Amino acid sequence: MKKYILILGLLLLLPVQNSLGQDIGFKLYLGAASVRMDDMKYLQEHILSTYPVEGKITSSFPPFTSVSLIVFKQLYEQIRIGGGYSYSTTGGKSSYLDYSGSLFTEMSATSHRLGAYLSYSLWGGEHLDLSLYGKAEACMSDLSIHSSYSIQNYSNSVYNKYRAISPAGTVGGEISYRFKKFALGLSASYLVDLTGNLKEKDGGNSLLDPNDTERTLSSDWTGWQIQLSAQIPLKF
Amino acid sequence: MRKALFFLLAAVFLCLIPACFYSDVELFEVIPVPGDPPVFSVTTNLDSLHHPQVNDSLELIYNVEIAGGELYFVYAEVAGTPFFESDSTSGFFWIYPEMADSSGVDTLYLDFYYSSNSNSLADRVGYEALMDHLKIAVDFNWGGQK
Repeated sequence: MKKYILILGLLLLLPVQNSLGQDIGFKLYLGAASVRMDDMKYLQEHILSTYPVEGKITSSFPPFTSVSLIVFKQLYEQIRIGGGYSYSTTGGKSSYLDYSGSLFTEMSATSHRLGAYLSYSLWGGEHLDLSLYGKAEACMSDLSIHSSYSIQNYSNSVYNKYRAISPAGTVGGEISYRFKKFALGLSASYLVDLTGNLKEKDGGNSLLDPNDTERTLSSDWTGWQIQLSAQIPLKF
Repeated sequence: MRKALFFLLAAVFLCLIPACFYSDVELFEVIPVPGDPPVFSVTTNLDSLHHPQVNDSLELIYNVEIAGGELYFVYAEVAGTPFFESDSTSGFFWIYPEMADSSGVDTLYLDFYYSSNSNSLADRVGYEALMDHLKIAVDFNWGGQK
């Protein structure tokens, strides 16, 4: 796995090498991603079913923050290559509260993705620019499950942390408006996560399907992203 | 002007940071709808006796009938000192003269804890109970033993 990360790191650095003084810049994307997370929703349903009372899922992996930072180099008039880092987060919560106590389970998932970037400009005017882009990434998913109860004078709390690493790819389109020294844009993209099995951070035990112990649960960041972008060329 | 813009952007950035970490504070709050409380009754072998005497020893046999609920525990104590506990609906124990502080009539307490049927979280996991007492006046006869 270290080798895989190293190769991706090199892919990230290659486009930037010898590029000082050339057309380079960076782009910051900020928006929201709606991700699949089927296994996590399934696990959340299972945890709720173990409650001794009728609890409720109050949040089930809703669209949440997604941020990306890309460093690029203008290779040709229409083509940019580069690399960058992306971050997404989401989670789920189920709970129950009455006068005698409470139960809650919170699942927080974060995705750190590092990868190479390629963009092709379909149409570029004086100010407007329409482009397609793609990214090949290594995705590291962290999942923490915090379970807690408080009943009368008794309370307890447990944290379980899991991690998965998987290959991922993003394709998207972007429309941007270029000002004098920067550009602002709107991007829509689809992320495909090839999913990785979740393993306990301490100990390495797999997160097994509670109803089928032959199957390991995985995080799945496949889904749509809508983001605003700001592009700042270091040198035009 | 630039400084003001910088501070404004920095403030916006700082305000947005929490949105980068998934967190949900919403709790599903419930007002439990209680069911009918259990119908509880207890009988002992001493019910028909007036101030039963404890000379050497005295056996107490109890039997709990509980409809629509569950008995969690029964505790017995004399003079503030518990000496018997059980989760069984029927059972027995022995009472000895030295359990009392002094010779003469003292009170034997039997405390019965059973399900409340309140349908609360604590009720469902057996941490909430209704309690009934049974008091029996017992004549402890030291007879110069103690």
